[in-house]
Amino acid sequence: MRKAVLFLAKVSLLFLAPSCFYSDPEIFEVEPVPGDPPVFSVSTNLDSLDHPPVNDSLELIYQVEISGGELYYVYAEIAGTPVFESDSTFGLFWIYPGMADSTGVYTLSMDFYYSSNSNSLAARVGYEALVDHLQIPLDFNGGGQK
Amino acid sequence: MKKSILIISLFLFLPVQNSPGQDAGIKLYLGAGSVRMEEMKYLQEFILSTYPVEGKITSSFPPFSAFSVLVFKQLFEQIRIGGGYSFSTTGGKSSYSDYSGSLITEMAATSHRLGAYLSYSVWGGELLDLSLYGKAEACMSDLFIQSNYTIASYTNSLQNKYRAISPAGTVGAELSFRIKSYALGLSAAYLVDLTGELKEKEEGNPLLDPNDFERTLHSDWTGWQLQVSVQIPFRF
Repeated sequence: MRKAVLFLAKVSLLFLAPSCFYSDPEIFEVEPVPGDPPVFSVSTNLDSLDHPPVNDSLELIYQVEISGGELYYVYAEIAGTPVFESDSTFGLFWIYPGMADSTGVYTLSMDFYYSSNSNSLAARVGYEALVDHLQIPLDFNGGGQK
Repeated sequence: MKKSILIISLFLFLPVQNSPGQDAGIKLYLGAGSVRMEEMKYLQEFILSTYPVEGKITSSFPPFSAFSVLVFKQLFEQIRIGGGYSFSTTGGKSSYSDYSGSLITEMAATSHRLGAYLSYSVWGGELLDLSLYGKAEACMSDLFIQSNYTIASYTNSLQNKYRAISPAGTVGAELSFRIKSYALGLSAAYLVDLTGELKEKEEGNPLLDPNDFERTLHSDWTGWQLQVSVQIPFRF
Protein backbone atom coordinates (compact mmCIF):
# COMPACT_ATOMS: atom_id res chain seq x y z
CA MET A 1 0.00 0.00 0.00
CA ARG A 2 2.79 2.36 0.96
CA LYS A 3 4.59 1.72 -2.32
CA ALA A 4 1.40 2.28 -4.27
CA VAL A 5 0.77 5.59 -2.54
CA LEU A 6 4.32 6.75 -3.11
CA PHE A 7 4.13 5.69 -6.74
CA LEU A 8 0.88 7.58 -7.19
CA ALA A 9 2.37 10.63 -5.49
CA LYS A 10 5.39 10.60 -7.83
CA VAL A 11 3.27 10.18 -10.94
CA SER A 12 0.95 12.93 -9.78
CA LEU A 13 3.86 15.28 -9.18
CA LEU A 14 5.20 14.55 -12.64
CA PHE A 15 1.92 15.30 -14.35
CA LEU A 16 0.92 18.17 -12.12
CA ALA A 17 4.16 20.10 -12.29
CA PRO A 18 3.01 22.12 -15.34
CA SER A 19 -0.08 23.16 -13.35
CA CYS A 20 2.17 25.09 -10.98
CA PHE A 21 2.78 27.67 -13.68
CA TYR A 22 -0.07 29.53 -15.25
CA SER A 23 0.14 29.73 -19.00
CA ASP A 24 -2.17 30.66 -21.81
CA PRO A 25 -0.96 29.57 -25.25
CA GLU A 26 -3.55 31.58 -27.16
CA ILE A 27 -2.41 34.53 -29.25
CA PHE A 28 -4.84 36.93 -30.84
CA GLU A 29 -4.04 36.76 -34.56
CA VAL A 30 -5.19 39.61 -36.76
CA GLU A 31 -5.31 40.11 -40.50
CA PRO A 32 -4.97 43.88 -40.84
CA VAL A 33 -7.35 45.60 -43.22
CA PRO A 34 -5.22 48.10 -45.13
CA GLY A 35 -6.44 51.61 -45.75
CA ASP A 36 -5.88 53.60 -48.92
CA PRO A 37 -2.20 54.27 -49.52
CA PRO A 38 -1.14 57.91 -49.37
CA VAL A 39 -1.02 59.96 -52.55
CA PHE A 40 2.64 60.81 -52.96
CA SER A 41 4.60 62.96 -55.38
CA VAL A 42 7.99 64.65 -55.34
CA SER A 43 9.45 67.39 -57.45
CA THR A 44 12.92 68.92 -57.59
CA ASN A 45 14.51 71.97 -59.12
CA LEU A 46 16.46 69.63 -61.44
CA ASP A 47 13.43 67.91 -62.96
CA SER A 48 13.62 69.85 -66.18
CA LEU A 49 17.37 69.37 -66.66
CA ASP A 50 19.07 66.53 -68.45
CA HIS A 51 22.23 65.39 -66.72
CA PRO A 52 22.74 68.62 -64.79
CA PRO A 53 26.45 69.39 -64.44
CA VAL A 54 28.21 69.58 -61.12
CA ASN A 55 30.78 72.30 -61.55
CA ASP A 56 31.68 74.14 -58.36
CA SER A 57 28.47 73.07 -56.69
CA LEU A 58 24.90 72.16 -57.49
CA GLU A 59 21.93 72.92 -55.29
CA LEU A 60 19.12 70.39 -55.10
CA ILE A 61 15.76 71.46 -53.77
CA TYR A 62 13.02 68.94 -53.31
CA GLN A 63 9.37 69.28 -52.39
CA VAL A 64 7.20 66.35 -51.33
CA GLU A 65 3.43 66.44 -51.66
CA ILE A 66 1.69 63.79 -49.63
CA SER A 67 -1.93 63.42 -48.66
CA GLY A 68 -3.46 60.74 -46.50
CA GLY A 69 -0.12 59.86 -44.97
CA GLU A 70 3.10 61.03 -43.44
CA LEU A 71 6.62 61.36 -44.75
CA TYR A 72 9.04 59.50 -42.46
CA TYR A 73 12.43 59.88 -44.00
CA VAL A 74 14.38 61.12 -47.00
CA TYR A 75 17.75 59.66 -47.85
CA ALA A 76 20.08 60.59 -50.70
CA GLU A 77 23.33 59.06 -51.88
CA ILE A 78 25.74 59.28 -54.76
CA ALA A 79 27.65 56.14 -55.70
CA GLY A 80 26.93 54.61 -52.30
CA THR A 81 28.02 57.65 -50.35
CA PRO A 82 25.31 59.28 -48.20
CA VAL A 83 24.92 62.93 -49.02
CA PHE A 84 21.70 63.92 -47.31
CA GLU A 85 18.98 62.77 -44.92
CA SER A 86 15.96 64.45 -43.49
CA ASP A 87 12.39 63.89 -42.35
CA SER A 88 11.06 67.08 -43.87
CA THR A 89 8.76 67.36 -46.88
CA PHE A 90 10.82 70.29 -48.11
CA GLY A 91 14.57 70.48 -48.17
CA LEU A 92 17.69 71.43 -50.02
CA PHE A 93 21.27 70.33 -50.09
CA TRP A 94 24.40 70.98 -52.09
CA ILE A 95 26.24 68.58 -54.31
CA TYR A 96 29.94 69.12 -54.77
CA PRO A 97 32.36 67.62 -57.32
CA GLY A 98 34.24 65.84 -54.53
CA MET A 99 31.20 63.62 -53.86
CA ALA A 100 32.07 61.53 -56.91
CA ASP A 101 35.11 59.26 -57.22
CA SER A 102 36.06 60.60 -60.60
CA THR A 103 34.63 62.50 -63.51
CA GLY A 104 31.68 61.11 -65.33
CA VAL A 105 28.00 60.60 -64.89
CA TYR A 106 26.86 59.48 -61.46
CA THR A 107 23.34 58.91 -60.29
CA LEU A 108 21.92 60.75 -57.33
CA SER A 109 19.55 58.27 -55.66
CA MET A 110 16.89 59.57 -53.35
CA ASP A 111 14.61 57.33 -51.28
CA PHE A 112 11.41 58.70 -49.78
CA TYR A 113 9.90 56.60 -46.99
CA TYR A 114 6.30 57.31 -46.05
CA SER A 115 3.45 55.69 -44.19
CA SER A 116 1.96 52.58 -45.70
CA ASN A 117 -1.50 52.88 -44.13
CA SER A 118 -1.57 49.10 -43.95
CA ASN A 119 -2.93 49.26 -40.37
CA SER A 120 -0.46 46.61 -39.28
CA LEU A 121 1.35 46.83 -35.95
CA ALA A 122 4.56 47.97 -37.63
CA ALA A 123 2.68 50.58 -39.64
CA ARG A 124 1.00 51.97 -36.51
CA VAL A 125 4.32 52.58 -34.81
CA GLY A 126 6.08 53.87 -37.90
CA TYR A 127 8.20 50.79 -38.56
CA GLU A 128 6.62 49.96 -41.89
CA ALA A 129 6.86 52.30 -44.86
CA LEU A 130 6.30 52.55 -48.55
CA VAL A 131 9.27 53.84 -50.45
CA ASP A 132 9.55 55.89 -53.62
CA HIS A 133 12.83 56.16 -55.45
CA LEU A 134 14.05 59.13 -57.41
CA GLN A 135 17.15 58.91 -59.56
CA ILE A 136 18.85 61.91 -61.16
CA PRO A 137 21.94 61.41 -63.34
CA LEU A 138 24.49 64.09 -62.61
CA ASP A 139 27.43 65.02 -64.77
CA PHE A 140 30.55 65.33 -62.64
CA ASN A 141 32.61 67.04 -65.27
CA GLY A 142 35.89 67.29 -63.43
CA GLY A 143 35.33 70.33 -61.35
CA GLY A 144 36.90 68.53 -58.42
CA GLN A 145 38.23 65.17 -57.28
CA LYS A 146 38.03 63.32 -53.96
CA MET B 1 -31.12 29.96 25.65
CA LYS B 2 -29.10 27.87 28.10
CA LYS B 3 -30.81 24.77 26.79
CA SER B 4 -29.89 25.64 23.22
CA ILE B 5 -26.28 26.18 24.17
CA LEU B 6 -26.26 22.87 26.00
CA ILE B 7 -27.69 21.02 22.99
CA ILE B 8 -25.20 22.61 20.64
CA SER B 9 -22.36 21.81 23.03
CA LEU B 10 -23.46 18.18 23.27
CA PHE B 11 -23.64 17.99 19.51
CA LEU B 12 -20.19 19.47 19.11
CA PHE B 13 -18.56 17.08 21.53
CA LEU B 14 -20.54 14.02 20.57
CA PRO B 15 -18.06 11.27 19.79
CA VAL B 16 -17.88 10.38 16.15
CA GLN B 17 -17.59 6.65 15.76
CA ASN B 18 -15.57 5.05 12.99
CA SER B 19 -14.36 8.37 11.71
CA PRO B 20 -11.43 8.24 9.33
CA GLY B 21 -9.42 10.25 11.78
CA GLN B 22 -5.87 9.22 12.56
CA ASP B 23 -3.57 10.19 15.39
CA ALA B 24 -1.57 12.20 12.97
CA GLY B 25 -1.12 12.34 9.27
CA ILE B 26 -0.71 14.33 6.17
CA LYS B 27 -3.33 15.50 3.73
CA LEU B 28 -2.70 16.47 0.15
CA TYR B 29 -5.23 18.63 -1.65
CA LEU B 30 -5.38 19.14 -5.37
CA GLY B 31 -7.87 21.17 -7.32
CA ALA B 32 -8.74 24.53 -8.68
CA GLY B 33 -9.66 27.86 -7.25
CA SER B 34 -11.33 31.00 -8.49
CA VAL B 35 -9.89 34.39 -7.59
CA ARG B 36 -11.31 37.86 -7.44
CA MET B 37 -8.25 39.84 -8.64
CA GLU B 38 -10.38 42.81 -9.69
CA GLU B 39 -7.46 45.22 -9.60
CA MET B 40 -5.26 42.93 -11.67
CA LYS B 41 -8.01 42.68 -14.28
CA TYR B 42 -8.22 46.46 -14.21
CA LEU B 43 -4.46 46.71 -14.72
CA GLN B 44 -4.66 44.22 -17.55
CA GLU B 45 -7.31 46.32 -19.29
CA PHE B 46 -5.19 49.42 -18.85
CA ILE B 47 -2.18 47.70 -20.39
CA LEU B 48 -4.32 46.60 -23.32
CA SER B 49 -5.49 50.19 -23.81
CA THR B 50 -1.87 51.28 -24.31
CA TYR B 51 -1.46 49.00 -27.33
CA PRO B 52 -1.17 50.99 -30.55
CA VAL B 53 -3.41 48.39 -32.18
CA GLU B 54 -6.64 46.63 -31.24
CA GLY B 55 -5.40 43.78 -29.05
CA LYS B 56 -7.43 41.30 -27.07
CA ILE B 57 -7.44 39.84 -23.58
CA THR B 58 -7.36 36.10 -24.15
CA SER B 59 -7.45 35.18 -20.48
CA SER B 60 -8.12 37.17 -17.36
CA PHE B 61 -7.35 35.44 -14.08
CA PRO B 62 -9.51 32.36 -14.58
CA PRO B 63 -9.86 29.58 -12.00
CA PHE B 64 -6.61 27.63 -12.00
CA SER B 65 -4.51 25.26 -9.92
CA ALA B 66 -4.75 25.15 -6.14
CA PHE B 67 -2.69 22.73 -4.07
CA SER B 68 -2.32 22.24 -0.35
CA VAL B 69 -0.33 20.03 1.94
CA LEU B 70 -1.36 19.75 5.52
CA VAL B 71 0.03 18.05 8.58
CA PHE B 72 -2.57 17.33 11.23
CA LYS B 73 -2.99 15.80 14.64
CA GLN B 74 -6.19 14.33 16.01
CA LEU B 75 -6.70 16.38 19.13
CA PHE B 76 -10.09 14.97 20.10
CA GLU B 77 -12.43 12.50 18.46
CA GLN B 78 -13.91 15.23 16.27
CA ILE B 79 -11.24 17.87 16.32
CA ARG B 80 -8.06 18.04 14.39
CA ILE B 81 -5.46 20.73 14.42
CA GLY B 82 -2.54 21.23 12.15
CA GLY B 83 -0.73 23.47 9.82
CA GLY B 84 0.26 23.55 6.25
CA TYR B 85 1.16 25.17 3.02
CA SER B 86 -1.14 26.14 0.18
CA PHE B 87 -0.39 27.23 -3.33
CA SER B 88 -2.60 28.84 -5.93
CA THR B 89 -1.81 30.27 -9.28
CA THR B 90 -3.59 32.11 -12.04
CA GLY B 91 -2.84 34.79 -14.57
CA GLY B 92 -3.84 36.70 -17.61
CA LYS B 93 -2.73 37.35 -21.11
CA SER B 94 -3.39 39.99 -23.72
CA SER B 95 -1.96 39.88 -27.17
CA TYR B 96 -1.96 41.05 -30.74
CA SER B 97 -0.20 39.48 -33.67
CA ASP B 98 -0.11 40.16 -37.39
CA TYR B 99 2.34 39.66 -40.25
CA SER B 100 4.46 42.60 -39.11
CA GLY B 101 4.94 41.67 -35.47
CA SER B 102 3.33 40.94 -32.16
CA LEU B 103 2.63 42.37 -28.73
CA ILE B 104 2.15 39.98 -25.84
CA THR B 105 1.60 40.84 -22.20
CA GLU B 106 1.49 37.99 -19.73
CA MET B 107 0.66 38.28 -16.06
CA ALA B 108 1.31 35.34 -13.75
CA ALA B 109 0.22 35.45 -10.14
CA THR B 110 1.06 32.91 -7.47
CA SER B 111 -0.01 32.70 -3.88
CA HIS B 112 1.98 30.92 -1.19
CA ARG B 113 0.15 30.54 2.09
CA LEU B 114 1.31 29.19 5.40
CA GLY B 115 -1.20 28.74 8.15
CA ALA B 116 -2.87 26.92 10.98
CA TYR B 117 -5.70 24.45 10.46
CA LEU B 118 -8.64 23.44 12.60
CA SER B 119 -11.15 20.81 11.58
CA TYR B 120 -14.31 19.59 13.22
CA SER B 121 -16.00 16.38 12.20
CA VAL B 122 -19.74 16.97 12.22
CA TRP B 123 -20.73 13.54 11.04
CA GLY B 124 -18.88 10.27 10.78
CA GLY B 125 -19.96 6.85 9.55
CA GLU B 126 -18.38 3.56 8.70
CA LEU B 127 -16.92 4.87 5.51
CA LEU B 128 -17.81 8.52 5.24
CA ASP B 129 -16.92 11.55 7.27
CA LEU B 130 -18.13 15.11 6.90
CA SER B 131 -16.07 17.80 8.50
CA LEU B 132 -15.91 21.56 8.58
CA TYR B 133 -12.59 23.25 8.68
CA GLY B 134 -10.96 26.61 8.83
CA LYS B 135 -7.53 27.98 8.19
CA ALA B 136 -5.82 31.18 9.27
CA GLU B 137 -3.02 31.95 6.89
CA ALA B 138 -0.34 34.39 5.92
CA CYS B 139 -0.45 34.89 2.18
CA MET B 140 2.50 35.89 0.05
CA SER B 141 1.50 36.89 -3.47
CA ASP B 142 3.88 37.17 -6.36
CA LEU B 143 2.94 38.90 -9.56
CA PHE B 144 5.08 38.65 -12.66
CA ILE B 145 4.30 40.89 -15.61
CA GLN B 146 6.12 40.36 -18.84
CA SER B 147 5.63 42.23 -22.08
CA ASN B 148 7.24 41.05 -25.27
CA TYR B 149 7.10 42.88 -28.52
CA THR B 150 8.45 42.05 -31.91
CA ILE B 151 8.03 44.64 -34.63
CA ALA B 152 9.65 43.95 -37.96
CA SER B 153 13.14 42.83 -36.90
CA TYR B 154 13.06 44.65 -33.57
CA THR B 155 12.45 42.61 -30.42
CA ASN B 156 12.27 43.69 -26.82
CA SER B 157 11.01 42.38 -23.51
CA LEU B 158 10.04 44.10 -20.26
CA GLN B 159 9.67 42.27 -16.98
CA ASN B 160 8.40 43.40 -13.61
CA LYS B 161 8.04 41.43 -10.40
CA TYR B 162 5.82 42.45 -7.53
CA ARG B 163 5.06 40.99 -4.15
CA ALA B 164 2.36 41.46 -1.52
CA ILE B 165 1.85 40.05 1.95
CA SER B 166 -1.62 39.75 3.39
CA PRO B 167 -3.58 37.83 6.01
CA ALA B 168 -6.08 35.30 4.69
CA GLY B 169 -8.58 32.83 5.99
CA THR B 170 -10.34 29.80 4.60
CA VAL B 171 -13.53 28.07 5.64
CA GLY B 172 -14.65 24.88 4.04
CA ALA B 173 -16.35 21.54 4.22
CA GLU B 174 -14.90 18.19 3.35
CA LEU B 175 -16.45 14.85 2.68
CA SER B 176 -14.01 11.97 3.19
CA PHE B 177 -14.23 8.37 2.12
CA ARG B 178 -12.21 5.94 4.16
CA ILE B 179 -10.06 3.25 2.58
CA LYS B 180 -8.27 1.26 5.28
CA SER B 181 -6.13 3.77 7.12
CA TYR B 182 -6.22 6.20 4.19
CA ALA B 183 -8.98 8.51 3.09
CA LEU B 184 -10.00 10.21 -0.10
CA GLY B 185 -11.95 13.40 0.15
CA LEU B 186 -13.74 16.16 -1.67
CA SER B 187 -13.42 19.64 -0.29
CA ALA B 188 -15.19 22.90 -1.06
CA ALA B 189 -13.83 26.02 0.56
CA TYR B 190 -13.98 29.77 0.40
CA LEU B 191 -10.78 31.73 0.77
CA VAL B 192 -10.94 35.29 2.02
CA ASP B 193 -7.85 37.34 1.26
CA LEU B 194 -7.59 40.62 3.12
CA THR B 195 -5.44 41.85 0.21
CA GLY B 196 -1.95 43.25 0.26
CA GLU B 197 -0.33 46.15 -1.50
CA LEU B 198 1.84 45.05 -4.40
CA LYS B 199 5.39 46.33 -4.33
CA GLU B 200 8.32 45.78 -6.64
CA LYS B 201 10.38 42.88 -5.37
CA GLU B 202 13.73 44.58 -5.75
CA GLU B 203 13.11 48.31 -5.47
CA GLY B 204 10.11 48.16 -3.17
CA ASN B 205 8.21 50.71 -5.22
CA PRO B 206 4.45 50.28 -5.01
CA LEU B 207 2.47 49.20 -8.05
CA LEU B 208 0.39 52.31 -8.53
CA ASP B 209 -2.95 52.66 -10.22
CA PRO B 210 -2.01 54.11 -13.62
CA ASN B 211 -5.04 56.39 -13.44
CA ASP B 212 -4.55 57.44 -9.82
CA PHE B 213 -1.00 57.64 -8.54
CA GLU B 214 -2.28 57.99 -4.97
CA ARG B 215 -3.57 54.45 -4.97
CA THR B 216 -1.60 51.20 -4.79
CA LEU B 217 -2.97 48.11 -6.49
CA HIS B 218 -3.67 44.94 -4.50
CA SER B 219 -3.70 41.26 -5.17
CA ASP B 220 -6.88 39.52 -4.07
CA TRP B 221 -7.12 35.75 -3.89
CA THR B 222 -10.63 35.73 -2.48
CA GLY B 223 -12.65 32.98 -4.09
CA TRP B 224 -13.93 29.43 -4.10
CA GLN B 225 -11.74 26.38 -4.09
CA LEU B 226 -12.76 22.88 -5.06
CA GLN B 227 -10.25 20.15 -4.32
CA VAL B 228 -9.85 16.44 -3.96
CA SER B 229 -7.76 15.21 -1.10
CA VAL B 230 -5.74 12.20 -0.04
CA GLN B 231 -5.13 11.51 3.61
CA ILE B 232 -2.07 9.48 4.52
CA PRO B 233 -1.45 8.44 8.12
CA PHE B 234 2.02 8.85 9.54
CA ARG B 235 1.86 5.23 10.67
CA PHE B 236 1.34 3.14 7.53
